[in-house]
Amino acid sequence: MECFIFEAAEKCFGMEAHYIYSIADDIQITPVPLAPPCYRGLIYFRGDLFDVIDMGSLMGKERSLPNGNPYVILLKWGQRKLSLISDKIIGITWIENNNGSQTVFTKEGRTVELITPEEIWKILSELPYGP
Amino acid sequence: MDLEKYKKIFVQEANKYLDELDIVLIRAEKDLPNQQLWSEIHGKIHSIKGMSKALSMERIAGLCHSMEEWCKQFQGGDIRPSGDAVQLLIDGTDLLKGLVAGKDDASFPENLKEWDRITASLTNSPDELLKHVTPEVRLVSSPSKIDRIRVDYSLIEELLARSQEIMLLEKRLPILSQDQISTGLRGWIDHYMSMLRGLHFQLARLRLIPVNDFVQLFKKTIRDLAKKYDRDVGLEVIGGELQVDIGLMDRLREPFMHLLRNSIAHGIEPSDERVKRGKNQEGKIVLEAEKRGDSVVLKVSDDGRGIDRTAITKYLKNKRSMSDEEIFRMRDDEFFNAILNVDFSSAHGTTQLAGRGIGMDVISRAIGYLGGSMTIHSEPSKGTQFIIRLPLSLSIVYAIVFRLGEYTLSIPTSNVASIERTETTSLEQNGASYDLEDRLGIDTHTRRPTHILKLRQPPGINGATDRGTPVRVAVDTIIGNMPLMVMPLGELLVMAGSFAGVGIMENGDISILLDMEKL
Repeated sequence: MECFIFEAAEKCFGMEAHYIYSIADDIQITPVPLAPPCYRGLIYFRGDLFDVIDMGSLMGKERSLPNGNPYVILLKWGQRKLSLISDKIIGITWIENNNGSQTVFTKEGRTVELITPEEIWKILSELPYGP
Repeated sequence: MDLEKYKKIFVQEANKYLDELDIVLIRAEKDLPNQQLWSEIHGKIHSIKGMSKALSMERIAGLCHSMEEWCKQFQGGDIRPSGDAVQLLIDGTDLLKGLVAGKDDASFPENLKEWDRITASLTNSPDELLKHVTPEVRLVSSPSKIDRIRVDYSLIEELLARSQEIMLLEKRLPILSQDQISTGLRGWIDHYMSMLRGLHFQLARLRLIPVNDFVQLFKKTIRDLAKKYDRDVGLEVIGGELQVDIGLMDRLREPFMHLLRNSIAHGIEPSDERVKRGKNQEGKIVLEAEKRGDSVVLKVSDDGRGIDRTAITKYLKNKRSMSDEEIFRMRDDEFFNAILNVDFSSAHGTTQLAGRGIGMDVISRAIGYLGGSMTIHSEPSKGTQFIIRLPLSLSIVYAIVFRLGEYTLSIPTSNVASIERTETTSLEQNGASYDLEDRLGIDTHTRRPTHILKLRQPPGINGATDRGTPVRVAVDTIIGNMPLMVMPLGELLVMAGSFAGVGIMENGDISILLDMEKL
């Protein structure tokens, strides 16, 4: 499968490339109160609002790019959409059948943890929001 | 009843049919024996006749009736139509256009002359027409002014996306020194960008449709459901001119479908039962739309038998282990909202006495997803009302936009009584009666209040002050009073339970619209 790979929380994550809607840079993130620490805010991109999630913080580590102007990975699947901030975008690579394993290895020797937007969403929806 | 309002809708609809009629008549002229075309012509004339009759526009209805009778003769294939027959119908269509524009007034001289000629010809049989046809110079009618177009919703979405992308170009503008750029050019770029922002905002307004257009979608459904369940049902719309976002209404299609089905299948009684109860033979469904503060309120009411309380009482006892006393103490809205629970539907299934449980949890979830809420009122044998309250999602609202700490927030202008400047940074000294920063968990060290917003009627601000007393909120900076395109909260932010929506400013910046009632 074609796999989009990025770094966050000192790990490499891989996601099937068809989930990637766009990569945005130089985009203003509007912070939102009463949201968990990993929720960095909202962006308005091409007529849609995207929640911006800090993958480093979501995975229980340091915030990704706390000061820099990050690239934002925009995801769309089914009726949902989400955007992610990572430490580094590696790119798209071909990964052979993973035989159901959550961890795969790239030709370049990277260990990649496979993740789906729905899994990220599940973690997010279980976090506390509100006063 | 405001007839003028309905006449305006009639003119729009009738013109649409008349334009279509022109096209089909032109096709028929080239394919005279095609009976399908004649059925189509008949159908369109019949639709105009029905609408005009409902509004007592007798001339239009009468002319349509004569034209309809004329068509019937060709539909069965008994009489072969001639080119002159088609011409007469084209003339009739032109006359109808004049009558529709004048809302049934035939007093214009050209209309009167044509009226006499056409109505006289239509009383003859098509064979007679051939004998009496007199060649004459006909005026070529000019197409009516185009003041409305129909476009695909996705095209508007694409245009919005494109304008958004163009606006993003501003952020990629390289930093140029004074040597590289003249003041004049800088000014031109700024002006150009501000025009683009305005364009984007105007495009966003294309998404608004009147509630009436939404209701039109359900007229046929109501008719079909009424036939299926053997009910006599009429629909009344109040506030149909209210403009709401097409995206929001589109997501309400399914919930409305469920509500209408429930009303017709289980609420409204069969005609004979209604007459026995002293009600009008025709049951009535009323859809009422109004803007209230920062919300759109849609009420769907019927004058049917109402919800049977015994089914709900049984459910509360068996599934919620509530005592008679606890149930007795419940407020009506709490009591009826029990039918929105998932296990209520499954507990009562299709035989549920009032029939309201079916799919109600689905409706409630769909409305919740849009950041809205639903309450139910019902009285035995008087009827049931569903009140759906939605944030002004995706629509335009004027709001006071301000900064508080690192956040850009907004409150609808209609909720703000006044704004005062303040010199002191102390909340107590500047007289703020509601600690918004505390409610939003904002770091107090970053606060530098400069203004106090005095809010109107603060319903539900717990403990801040008595209902009706103005609430004063200290804010850091006022950005302005401006129109915002309000978009619905996503599933995650809905969980915060404190926001009414997300406001997009003309320049594409975002502000969070606070729901002061929930805060």
